[in-house]
Amino acid sequence: MGKTADKTVYKTLGWCGFGVGAIAGAVDVKDGRVARIRPLHLDDAYSEDQIKPWKIEARGTTFESGLVTSIPPLAVGYKKRTYSKNRVPYPLKRVDWDPSGERHVENRGISGYERISWDEAAQICADEIRRIVDTYGPSAVYCQGDGHGETKNVGGTHGANTRLMDLLGGYTLQGRQPDSWEGWYWGAKHAWGQDPLGKQSQGRNLLKDIAENTECMLYWGCDPETTTWGWSGQMPSRLCYWFSDLGIKNIYICPDLNYGAAVHADKWIPVRPNCDAALQLAIAYVWITEGLFDADYVDTHAIGYDNFAWYVTGGEDDVPKTPKWAEEKCGVPARQIKALARYWAKHNTSIAHCNGGGYIRSCFAHEPARLEVCLLTMQALGHPGRNQFSFVEWGMFGMPETIACPAPAYPVYVGGSYTGHLPGTGFRWFIPQTLLPDAILLPEGEKLTWNGHVASGLPRQDQYDQYSYPAEDGSRIHMIWSDTPCWSTCWNGGNRYQDALRHESIEFMLVNHPWIENDTLFADIILPSSTKLEQDDIATSTMCGYNDMVVNEARAIDPVGEARTDPECVLAIAEKLGLADQLVSAWCGMDGSLDAPFDPAKDTPDVRMAKMSHQAVVAAGITEPSMDVLKQIGWVGGGMEEHQSYEDFLEKGYHVVPTSDDWESLPAGLIEFYEDPEGHPLDTPSGKVEMYSTSIADHWPDDPERPPVPHWIEESPAHHERVTSDRAKDYPYLLVSNHPRWRIHANHDDVTWLREIETCKVVGPDGYAYEPIWVHPSDAEKLGLADGDVAKLYNERGAVLGGVRVSERIMPGSLYQDHGARVDVIERGTGGLERGGANNLICPGATTSQNAPGEVTNSFLVGCEKVDVSELAEEFPEAFSRAYDAATGLTAETYLVKEA
Amino acid sequence: MGKVFVIDVARCNGCRNCQIACKDEHCGQAWAPYAAAQPDTGQFWMKVDEREHGTVPKIFVAYTAHGCMHCDNAPCMAAAKGGAVYRREDGLVVIDPVKAKGQKAIVDACPYRAVFWNEEEQLPQKCTGCAHLLDDGWTVPRCVDACPTGALRFGDESDFADEIAQAEVLLPEQGTVPRAYYLNLPKRFVAGEVYDEVEDEVVIGAKVTLKDASGAVLETASDDFGDFWFKQVAPSVYTVGIEAPGYAPKTIVVDATEEDVNIGGIAL
Repeated sequence: MGKTADKTVYKTLGWCGFGVGAIAGAVDVKDGRVARIRPLHLDDAYSEDQIKPWKIEARGTTFESGLVTSIPPLAVGYKKRTYSKNRVPYPLKRVDWDPSGERHVENRGISGYERISWDEAAQICADEIRRIVDTYGPSAVYCQGDGHGETKNVGGTHGANTRLMDLLGGYTLQGRQPDSWEGWYWGAKHAWGQDPLGKQSQGRNLLKDIAENTECMLYWGCDPETTTWGWSGQMPSRLCYWFSDLGIKNIYICPDLNYGAAVHADKWIPVRPNCDAALQLAIAYVWITEGLFDADYVDTHAIGYDNFAWYVTGGEDDVPKTPKWAEEKCGVPARQIKALARYWAKHNTSIAHCNGGGYIRSCFAHEPARLEVCLLTMQALGHPGRNQFSFVEWGMFGMPETIACPAPAYPVYVGGSYTGHLPGTGFRWFIPQTLLPDAILLPEGEKLTWNGHVASGLPRQDQYDQYSYPAEDGSRIHMIWSDTPCWSTCWNGGNRYQDALRHESIEFMLVNHPWIENDTLFADIILPSSTKLEQDDIATSTMCGYNDMVVNEARAIDPVGEARTDPECVLAIAEKLGLADQLVSAWCGMDGSLDAPFDPAKDTPDVRMAKMSHQAVVAAGITEPSMDVLKQIGWVGGGMEEHQSYEDFLEKGYHVVPTSDDWESLPAGLIEFYEDPEGHPLDTPSGKVEMYSTSIADHWPDDPERPPVPHWIEESPAHHERVTSDRAKDYPYLLVSNHPRWRIHANHDDVTWLREIETCKVVGPDGYAYEPIWVHPSDAEKLGLADGDVAKLYNERGAVLGGVRVSERIMPGSLYQDHGARVDVIERGTGGLERGGANNLICPGATTSQNAPGEVTNSFLVGCEKVDVSELAEEFPEAFSRAYDAATGLTAETYLVKEA
Repeated sequence: MGKVFVIDVARCNGCRNCQIACKDEHCGQAWAPYAAAQPDTGQFWMKVDEREHGTVPKIFVAYTAHGCMHCDNAPCMAAAKGGAVYRREDGLVVIDPVKAKGQKAIVDACPYRAVFWNEEEQLPQKCTGCAHLLDDGWTVPRCVDACPTGALRFGDESDFADEIAQAEVLLPEQGTVPRAYYLNLPKRFVAGEVYDEVEDEVVIGAKVTLKDASGAVLETASDDFGDFWFKQVAPSVYTVGIEAPGYAPKTIVVDATEEDVNIGGIAL
């Protein structure tokens, strides 16, 4: 170690959720502070011969994964998050919330906070939990731990609270939606199976296939320069440059010139937000009428083509889905639609996704998802060079068949050390994430119903069963316990959620979180949790295209303020309840819950892995539960001792999995189905691609929003989000609200070095950094807007402000504002006004469609008008005079009540 | 000889890892004897500028990273008093954070605006090439280590002979002889889409010519989408000629002096 660092530790730097880490980096520490965060050089501790980075040679080019991880800027600057002025410094109590007197639930979101001791906070929480469980039963406690935030194992965010509540008889779980891929989940699964994701799960070796065979790549709503940052770093960027070097024609189809298109596109086809289905149908129309598809393949590999063609050509509704028809709907000139259809038919074409853009997260998202499968099928899906390719989540759910790069020699797993919610458990009582406001605001005596467990890892069949709230044996919820308090700026209809959080039935809201932001400000008690730089942990680094790794995530620095890890926050409460020992036993898997053999009928893949891990731990003689042994449990349970001793792993700091020697022999993508559909059927009821879905026909034969053959859906009783809708008279623009460039959802909005990037924020005349709104010059002229103006995006659900950037990067008639900005409420609740640009507040509250409870968080109607911030400041003096740090934005200081 | 930076604009994805890594290294952290701590915001020892080129739907964004050019003929050195700016043996130009105190002239001397004034410390500050890290065994500065695409490179001049032969420098007219070499700096493009208005079809294979004021002509053909592009052409007024069998030829004069030109749809 030289003079510029005292020590180096390693951390995974993806924010991908439930203990499944990605993209490891190195953290240098000097004088007790984080000095720098940098890429990990794999050869720091091992030779290249041991690492065996992968290499593909094709068309005169060579691509090597290399020895340096390409971490994203969100990781490089992450110490700013740890040292943020926005950290929760110590336990806090809302000043006007008195658990033994007036609770003032109506003041959530506006009250300040006062310091209390850890001991007092833990006691209040324990007393409240006990009281609520005794009064209403354990299902009255709602545990919210969705996938947004840091990825940790021993320090497991995302539902560490569920493990304590298990000991108290249970809880109501916030269902973990397939929230980044709703359309694939609710739609594409019914066309081609591909469980559990719904997008093409059989993605193995697709990089080799693309390199050798693909001539055209359609980036359909896909941004490989943004969406992947939070999950898996920047390997996708490197791949995009390589695809260009290979001579692949890169065509981006999206309403905005997204960040991938901005540097990689050979052609950009702007399509009106969530109108892709019209474009897709017109492409099918050209192929059908001009005979430009593989009819023999469709005969042998698909069912329902005749029904599909009948609809496309207008047999069903007298509306042929011609390019001219589509032009009206989607804004792409008919001649360009025809050109695209013919080009596609002549070239080996794959479609690339980073889970999916707006069209996979908007109303009726199952339709474009299914239509994409139909189009791929008409051009012989699985043929070399013709697949659906994903830039992200290679190895998701431990599925080796999803790994598009050359395969690792063996899998890695350290889930035995995970203290968060175990996916696939706790479904006795649950509410889908998307329906939480509806549930809380449900009139007494009514029931809320929905289809499926709405959990991301479950197969298609799960969607057939119906569930309801309140459950027959359950209570309404009376307490919310969250470690991911960002619902209002991440999901569908945050203003309504703010109404729900102030409902009288919610007697207690508890948050453990590192930062005072978003829904944290509605909590009654806030416990300060630490960030991963302050924690001792273990992680896998997978999904990012580099060699898989296990990382010894040693503690870099001491906890900031009075922060504790999320499980330690839970443990403090467990101690007051006399359940600490039992809780630690449960976390260590030593409570008996993992003793039973794997039951394929009942257990999910996560539970199977947990049971296997536990057996290995027992076999290794580790039987004494403690927080200190959790890290080793992860290592031993994952069978890692076979490859390296625990001590050597700790010493070296990370374990690298070499690339498999025989990776090239593994079949690429859906080639086996292509070559032998009978021998390698899909997991649909028929084993074929179902252009007419038999599962939908059996279960929801009369669903007008999701009929057996995928349709263009203009509107529904719940959704009027088209430029032709009546609502468009008042709210004429479709808003593109993508995953953000300079955040991961709600995270990172306080990082000063990102905020000062001139395209990250627009500083208004009042010095406030507003979230940019991209406005096309032609619309700016109509609206009287200029660069730097502050404008309001609004609809009947409320309004959010933003800073105008006049730009050619958005098509005329649409507006663009990233989602996930930090909520800065001016007026709370439905019809409210917000300053930070948290546009999820005004998303539709209704789900994808009546039988598909997915989120609708992109491509919705808004109006836009210039505002005068000095007038607003006069109208709302309290909101506009809040303490504000020009570099950081809102800080903890803003909300703390000064101690006397 | 000595160290140089090579910056390939065509390989820059705009992620700003270089800009953020520089901040991560220098904000709030002093690295004596080369640099005092950089203020948290406002200074950019390495910065990425972005510019949109074109209009819907023919548009791209160019990102240009720039910091100190470590010029061979450094104006900041000339402006500095008392040896406050010096060149290391490896060619890196360093502002001595002690000797430079109060010397605002060093800021004003830089034509690249790569030197920043620290009001609180009364100090001119800029990129050090992460000299403290190079002294400590690193082979490249933070910005280069963090670059995911290889757009930003650093090393001995002799190792980059091929790149330097094709490269440009910024503001060559200043005579600073910068040691940061740029590849693929954006020029202008002229583009359009050829179509048949009656048939509502794109026209594929139309012969498209681009003639500049001197009469020099470039030629291309419209592609499968009717699109044509002339990329990386010099700023100029151009005459675009379009010919396709069965259509009357068309001539369009465009001004690409200040801006790229997307002619848009051209009906034949």
